[in-house]
Amino acid sequence: MKKQGRGMATIMFGFGYGEGFPDHSIASVEIEDSGKILIRTAAADVGQGVLTVITQIAAEVLKVKPEIIRIIPGDTHLTKSSGSTSATRQTFFTGNAVKEASEGLLSNIYHYASIEFRSNHVELEIKDGYIFRNDNPNYRLSYWELADKVKERGDSLKAEASFFPHTDKPDPKTGQGEKLYVAYTFVTQIVDVEVDTDTGVVEILNVYTAADIGKAINPKNVEGQIEGGTVQGIGMALMEEQVIKEGITLNPNLTGYLIPTSMDTPRFVTRLVENEDSEGPFGAKGIGEPATIATTPAIANAIYDAIGVRIYHLPITPEKILKALKEKRKNK
Amino acid sequence: MKKMPKRYVGKNIFKVDAQDKVTGKAQYSDDIYFDDMLYLKIKRATYPHAYLRRIDISKAQKIPGVVKIITAADIPEVKNFGLIIKDQPVLIGIGRKMRYMGDALAIVIAESKEIASKAVKLIEVEVEKLEVISDPLRAMEKDAPLIHQDSNILATHYLEKGDVKKGFTQADVIVENEYKTSFLDQVPLQIEAGIGVFDPETEIIKLWAATQWLHDTQADVAQSLGLPKEKIRIIQPVIGGAFGKKEDISVHIHLALAAIATKRPVKFSYTREESMIAQSKRHPFIIQMKTGVTKKGYLTACQVEVIGDTGAYASSGLAVVHKGMYHCTGPYNVDNVKGVAHTVYTNNTYCGAMRGFGATQMAFAYESQMDILSHKLEIDPVQFRLQNAYNHGSSTPNGQILTHSVGVKETIKEAADMTGWKEGR
Repeated sequence: MKKQGRGMATIMFGFGYGEGFPDHSIASVEIEDSGKILIRTAAADVGQGVLTVITQIAAEVLKVKPEIIRIIPGDTHLTKSSGSTSATRQTFFTGNAVKEASEGLLSNIYHYASIEFRSNHVELEIKDGYIFRNDNPNYRLSYWELADKVKERGDSLKAEASFFPHTDKPDPKTGQGEKLYVAYTFVTQIVDVEVDTDTGVVEILNVYTAADIGKAINPKNVEGQIEGGTVQGIGMALMEEQVIKEGITLNPNLTGYLIPTSMDTPRFVTRLVENEDSEGPFGAKGIGEPATIATTPAIANAIYDAIGVRIYHLPITPEKILKALKEKRKNK
Repeated sequence: MKKMPKRYVGKNIFKVDAQDKVTGKAQYSDDIYFDDMLYLKIKRATYPHAYLRRIDISKAQKIPGVVKIITAADIPEVKNFGLIIKDQPVLIGIGRKMRYMGDALAIVIAESKEIASKAVKLIEVEVEKLEVISDPLRAMEKDAPLIHQDSNILATHYLEKGDVKKGFTQADVIVENEYKTSFLDQVPLQIEAGIGVFDPETEIIKLWAATQWLHDTQADVAQSLGLPKEKIRIIQPVIGGAFGKKEDISVHIHLALAAIATKRPVKFSYTREESMIAQSKRHPFIIQMKTGVTKKGYLTACQVEVIGDTGAYASSGLAVVHKGMYHCTGPYNVDNVKGVAHTVYTNNTYCGAMRGFGATQMAFAYESQMDILSHKLEIDPVQFRLQNAYNHGSSTPNGQILTHSVGVKETIKEAADMTGWKEGR
């Protein structure tokens, strides 16, 4: 018999390394000869989209189209440390560093333009990579023309910035501290499942997610993270287990180690809670890790709702479900 | 507060790397090719816990096309590596211990992958077997053999806020359960792979190999090889997923050694099997959790004990396990919290970072507890969560007062709203 159930889970995730560990990101932004604006960062884009996020941030601050932004590929000899792509930290850390570097560059654009135009800052306006005086918009300089003039003065149009927030080391006896993590992301998921009581197979029908991410720099990217993380959570809940017996992995391949496929992917409905109240760029927080955390318990709770049995040892395989159902019938 | 409208932030612009990826233009590590390139394979441990007594590479060396085989005897100056603790050997030497099936015994460099693989099989190894410790509970016993020099309990962390005893006396309902999670592989699409090139002029070793932490990987490779940091140049190819698995060193040091030894470009790509056996896992946790609540449904106390199996090497294990504990209450106000977390060495594949870093395992426990309690109290699970959830000014298990961006209640309300959740469903 097929039985449906609904379960929920609400989670928190303190992101950044935190705990007093020196955690920072350095980025620089410069006007390039090629007609582009170059960002130097070592932030690894593992598919999550940090390069897109910092492109949007730089474009926003510098008032240019995103196509104008070029990012140098990560290279120890051409970039400074941006910390790791982990701990859900890149949007927050490198995002802030790029925002600040872009603001630094913008300030210098105003500074040098005010010399060129013999004006003060309030008389200047910037649009699409051009700077001009309000009273004479026809006489304008592009960022690149300005950069040439700055070069003649023996300087260059670039700025470097870093983001290095303080966190506290926890007390070793109690784990207490004033600021352990830079911020927390919160996620609630509600999951609908259908359990086949004859086979023990669980199908995930719907996943409703509400995520407090402060501000989505790119809402589609955030949704993508949530959907990917959820599918990973479905794997953890229902099928994934590297079986290691006496130190030997019994299933070191994707025949023996199952991960969800597109056929296991549910219908997603996602809403983003954006209070813009975080210290991240434009109020953003990270979503990378929190995207996966609520899924497993929400599924476990939905399975309980459907069939009245609870499995305490992951993954919740059909075998475990059938065994638990059998025991439940026996105990009745 | 009304925010200024934005042109690009908050907009769904296309991912900047999407076009290169879908057209096949993007260069991943394994796509990089040099004409005179050599291929590397590793002879790995033959037993999960054993002393290496003899290694014979003579037969392997005779195969035409084998260019060089490196064993620990060739690199006495090379040091251990590791993310937090330098406890991982680059190669296991004679008289040294292999601690899991991923430990490297020899580096084979050949003209082709096939030749290298064939040579690996011809390396003969004699070992002195030791007790294999696969269960962290066994590892914690007093009479268990030590996997490293010191205790098998790599680290113990504590958490204490308020008075947990008092908290449980205030509770009308107490629920205690044990939760267990499994070893998980991060299964990024891209398996560990890289190219190493030694430039004799500058004496710089160039590595094209993915890493989640460019400059830290560079530092670890450099310290292991005893070279200045600037002699190791890592260039990030396009990365095909990581999820924590590319935080640890994988191909990097072996490639650097091979490039120095042969003065030719060397490529090393793991197989999926090798990746699963040799590279980090998500920690299996054993979580004992006790939660107390008043009959009106307010949480009063949470006590937790965590045992995290970090396998043969520390990696980021000690950070993962206690970070899990630090999240033990979930986003709920609990005045009285007590926890202890042990990170334990075993002879299993070492565990490191994976999406959620311990907090993922912990959420399975605390959110199961929340569900169990809501059933026991017959309180709607949405209402139960709402009335306990953090506000501005709430205090986490670490006593951190939340001053910014505490939208947890909104997430509960929004999720419930999407489903048309009614009390009692």
